[in-house]
Amino acid sequence: MIMTHPGLPLYWAYAIGIMMLLLGLLTMAIKAPTTSASRSISLAKLPLIGDLFRFLAKYTWPLLLLKIIFAALFITVITAGLWGTPIVERNLATTLTWNLWWTGIIIAIVFSGSAWCALCPWDNIASWLVNHSIWRRSSSQSRLQLKVPNMLRSVWPASLLFIGFTWLELGIGIVASPYATAMLALLMLILATTTLALFEGKAFCRYMCPVGRTVGAYSQLAPIALRPIDSEICRNCKTLECFHGSDKIAPCPTKIVMGRLQENTYCTSCGNCTQSCPSSNVSWQLRSPSSEAIKEAKPHMDEAFFLLILLSLTLFHGLTMLDYWEGYLSEMAQLINDSGQLIISFSIGLGVTLILPIFIYCLCIGLTQGLLKKRLGAMVTKLSFNKLFSGFAFISLPLAFSYHIAHNLTHFVRESSDWLSLVTNPLGTGAEPLSMMEKHTRHMEMMVSENTLFIMQGIIIAIGFVIATQVIRHRGHRLFAAQGITLLPMILFAALVTGFNLWMLVQPMTMRM
Amino acid sequence: MIKITSKTTPILSGLLLCALALFSALTHAHHVLGRPSYSLNEDSNTPPSMAIETQIGEYFITYMVFPAFPKPNEPGRVNIYATRIDNGEMLDQTITFTVRDDTFWGESIGIGDGAKPEVIGQQNIDDGVYRQGFLFKSRGSYIIRAYFEDNGEPYEIDFPLQVGAASPVGPIGAAVGFIFFLLLMINIVQRKRIARTKIQQGQTV
Ligand code: SF4
Ligand code: SF4
Repeated sequence: MIMTHPGLPLYWAYAIGIMMLLLGLLTMAIKAPTTSASRSISLAKLPLIGDLFRFLAKYTWPLLLLKIIFAALFITVITAGLWGTPIVERNLATTLTWNLWWTGIIIAIVFSGSAWCALCPWDNIASWLVNHSIWRRSSSQSRLQLKVPNMLRSVWPASLLFIGFTWLELGIGIVASPYATAMLALLMLILATTTLALFEGKAFCRYMCPVGRTVGAYSQLAPIALRPIDSEICRNCKTLECFHGSDKIAPCPTKIVMGRLQENTYCTSCGNCTQSCPSSNVSWQLRSPSSEAIKEAKPHMDEAFFLLILLSLTLFHGLTMLDYWEGYLSEMAQLINDSGQLIISFSIGLGVTLILPIFIYCLCIGLTQGLLKKRLGAMVTKLSFNKLFSGFAFISLPLAFSYHIAHNLTHFVRESSDWLSLVTNPLGTGAEPLSMMEKHTRHMEMMVSENTLFIMQGIIIAIGFVIATQVIRHRGHRLFAAQGITLLPMILFAALVTGFNLWMLVQPMTMRM
Repeated sequence: MIKITSKTTPILSGLLLCALALFSALTHAHHVLGRPSYSLNEDSNTPPSMAIETQIGEYFITYMVFPAFPKPNEPGRVNIYATRIDNGEMLDQTITFTVRDDTFWGESIGIGDGAKPEVIGQQNIDDGVYRQGFLFKSRGSYIIRAYFEDNGEPYEIDFPLQVGAASPVGPIGAAVGFIFFLLLMINIVQRKRIARTKIQQGQTV
């Protein structure tokens, strides 16, 4: 029997709708400030916790210990997936991967930016295997250090893998199979190891990993990031150990010069720069949330497409968990004579959901361009479409992130697992399937009250829209001094996506497992 | 740093081929038709069963296996319910059940005996259900196929069945083997490259 969770009460949708209307008008009416410096505080400079952050930046072993714990968990997941019970809810592979990790890393971005990548077992195990070194700079002969071919030097590989994994996850049903979950984990390890062995730096993390790119993109909204403690020291630095590495510490795997870092996208929080900097000048910093997405991050075409694909896939995740989805699949299957697991119908649904938001976005960019042409005339050349396309794509970030978190909160808060049994019996040896009684109990036992959950979801969706309008205001002003009515198409896009997100949240949602 | 040259290309292509072979073997190793779910009926003391609901052509099909985790030499049963999507009418035809090994080589390439299906029985509707008993003598992954014809259209419904514990040595072996082979090949190439550079340096001095 498929269980569903009740949706957000309708009054939340009305309240956020009114807020969107007012904020939309305000965004058009108020001019964006021409200069606005982002504020930041280095956590290493704070009293009390400053010592802790300095300690973490100085010593290798705390991070190494965490890496080993995560690697051990990863090996447990593979073991449980391959040897354990196929009962999804009784196997640690599926519960840990899909209920805790996949939900948790998105929520964790709010508190720790791109820190996940520092602990990532694929990358760490691959590095240990290839470099033959636990943490020191290595001169291993197991790396070819080839230059990454030009065709791979963009986030397109990550975008395509992301689409592929979504297809495997929701279409083939990896979420419902511990065995397939373990296979996917092994495949990621093989990809990470192969890429590390063949190419220079960490090409897998930089160009291919859909998880890393998602974490990187979302961490542009995070209020925390690794940054120089004193930017003056970086400005005067001639040796750039953060980039080149030192005798003991490897260079930055994604070729970042810490002193010039403006966007978090490619920082894997590996901590190499915190170790190699001779002035110990790198630490975690608190900053205005979303400042990167709003103004600091530089727009690039491949990244813009990645952000839009991320938005589409996030919406698609939500759609597949609505009651309507089954009906659609069934109708489509009859129309095209699809059978079995209805893979073709599913793929068509995925394709349409992928293309439609991007198409609407292009339409809004086209309208913006038209309005700008009227105002600015010859200044708006043919090239401007691409500039507007990549510049405004940052609005996808808060819209996708807010829905992603609001949606996952339902899973997180409402779908409890019996972690004690799972930890003591990760393979689920001899375990019986969930009884109806147990299913009901899990369904009813919530981590926080239902009202608290609704409040959190409502606020998160509203914040997503607020940040989106900030992006529109600032980026619009910077791109073409766009303001007033010229911003309307993009505001409508943000409102449309937020409205759709709200509609999905209002519907009952099926339980993941 | 080195460039991709004609010497490294065969190695890269070989590695890519190995990765592709490994991945295709991995993806074909398991068949999922619909989403299997395991359930336990609290009103009875029967062992857990596995059910899959799916749609094929004009029919909604529900497939159930008892027990969910059959062991070698232990009798089990497959039940099928099939109703028309348009009017909910029950299917009333003879269903033929066959079985074959669920292996990539056996199934996709047609190598080995496992590729040949064996008929396990023909069943007619009995109280709205098609029931087929089975008993497997050895451990393994099998595919049971239910076959019927309706309005001149053939219907084939494949159903995965694991008898006894699965052997995970295959995927782990393939993954470890692949990584070992990759690192070994790269090590050889690197050593040759260093030796060549040394000789070249010796010649120029
Ligand atoms: S980018 Fe991907 S592989 Fe690299 S550390 Fe992050 S999650 Fe791991
Ligand atoms: S070395 Fe590079 S990737 Fe690692 S934490 Fe520093 S900037 Fe980020």
